[in-house]
Amino acid sequence: MSDLLEVNGVTKRFGGLTAVKNASFTLKKGDFTGILGPNGAGKTTLFNILTGFMPPTAGSIHFNGELVRDLAPYQVVNRGMARTFQLTRPFIGMNLLENVLVACMSPRASQDKDKEARARHLLAQVGLGGRDKEPVETLPYGDLRRLEIARALATRPDLLLLDEPFAGLGSSEIEQLAQLIRRLHREENLTILLIEHKLREFMALVSRVIAMNFGEIIAVGPPDEIVKNEKVIEAYIGKTEDSYASA
Amino acid sequence: MRQLSLIDIAGGLVVIAILALAPVLISSNYLTGVLTVCVIYGIWAASWDFMSGLTGRENFGHSLFIGTGAYTAGFLSSIWTANPWYSLPLGVVVAVAFSILVGFPTLRLRGPYFALAMLSTSAILQRLCLIFWEYTGGEEGIYGLDPLMKTPLYYYWFALGILAVTVIVLTLLARSHWGLLLRAIRGDEATCQAAGINVTFYKIVSLMISAGFAGLGGALYAHYQLQVSPPLFSVVVSITVIIMVYVGGIGSIYGAAVAAILLTLLTEMLRGFGEYRLWIYTLTLMMILFFLPNGLIAPLWRRMTERLR
Repeated sequence: MSDLLEVNGVTKRFGGLTAVKNASFTLKKGDFTGILGPNGAGKTTLFNILTGFMPPTAGSIHFNGELVRDLAPYQVVNRGMARTFQLTRPFIGMNLLENVLVACMSPRASQDKDKEARARHLLAQVGLGGRDKEPVETLPYGDLRRLEIARALATRPDLLLLDEPFAGLGSSEIEQLAQLIRRLHREENLTILLIEHKLREFMALVSRVIAMNFGEIIAVGPPDEIVKNEKVIEAYIGKTEDSYASA
Repeated sequence: MRQLSLIDIAGGLVVIAILALAPVLISSNYLTGVLTVCVIYGIWAASWDFMSGLTGRENFGHSLFIGTGAYTAGFLSSIWTANPWYSLPLGVVVAVAFSILVGFPTLRLRGPYFALAMLSTSAILQRLCLIFWEYTGGEEGIYGLDPLMKTPLYYYWFALGILAVTVIVLTLLARSHWGLLLRAIRGDEATCQAAGINVTFYKIVSLMISAGFAGLGGALYAHYQLQVSPPLFSVVVSITVIIMVYVGGIGSIYGAAVAAILLTLLTEMLRGFGEYRLWIYTLTLMMILFFLPNGLIAPLWRRMTERLR
């Protein structure tokens, strides 16, 4: 099967700082891949580049065989690549239904005649059913994450990018959200790329890991291999005293 | 979406009925004239509110659309001696053309570019009217437009009808899915992008709609005054319209229209105070905006009718 996403030599420099350095990887349809890395490793920058929010300094991105590097974010979404934000960004002053409804009006989403029915269905799908009229201001963080996912799903994505969906959540909330994401992957035939730096939740969820540190991809492989990878351990825990001594 | 409730429709009908009957009950050409200006300001304020109130992109040069609509009427009716009825549609067309000219390059940018571009373009047109005085009549402007109606009272009713249509159309649009998108743009453009929405497109089209109604109001004003002059492009006109919207309650459309009518009436009623007029007017506005940052008309109407909904 051909690759859904093909990232080739993507580099992003901010002045003297190289946030992402020569990143190359591919995603196949149906993959559940995670990008792992400590804070500042360049994960979110990479997400922003993939989704058109930031132009790369160099490199190319192909999605479904099409070059999407120079497209605006909304154009990327309408080709089937949707994202959520690490810091949730709901539309303040609107209720849950209206928040999802906005995405239901995007060109890719708007095949349905009854957009409100679809928005209601999506809310139910992420576990927010029957709460249409609630304002977003009072929503707890876990529910805001679900709302973000519902909004992304509204655009009928082939590839869903989740930016640290578990950040700031309690362990029971994390478990419920992980179940939701797993179900979406299985039932909706979604390809998922997820950023996280919480190892435990992460490793249980994904089937393939791309490990980053200081803007570079340092390892790619299944979770059980990645946790044993020396470079990854080094990035997370630091070098052992022995290795300092020998260095 | 948020449909018009019966109480809103009833309220609207009562206001229109009062406005329509006032010059019949108090038969005075002066009042009819003042009310005509009131109603035209209502069109301008409602049209400003539709774009800037909903998307949050402040337009500091609404007089650009007002002035181009009015001057289009001036050129057509007075200089090219066209049938005065061409003024209204062509005033709309020219104003919309200017909205594309300014909106297209600046609405894709973040920051104050749009507000500043609107402000400076309206100022430039005011200057151009003076520089090309041979064609525009300079300070004097263009005189001798043909009236659209036989009597001032008919013309007032006609303008009132256009205000009613403007408010109804813009309110329905604002409460439709379209309006929801515009409010979403006001909320967070990045989230709109992530939702697959072409933010620039919606902003430009909403500005075109806003400009169209403003240009229509401009042409109406020209055929009321039967002359046009450069102050129509002035910043004072733009700022007056913005203040009216804020007093009305931003984003409500009908609030802007009612506030425009009341404030225009207030300016007229204060004429008796002579030079103190501006003091009283300005202080009143400052009090309203200071104590009621969400505006006066729309929040008041909502509170009054809360129990009836």
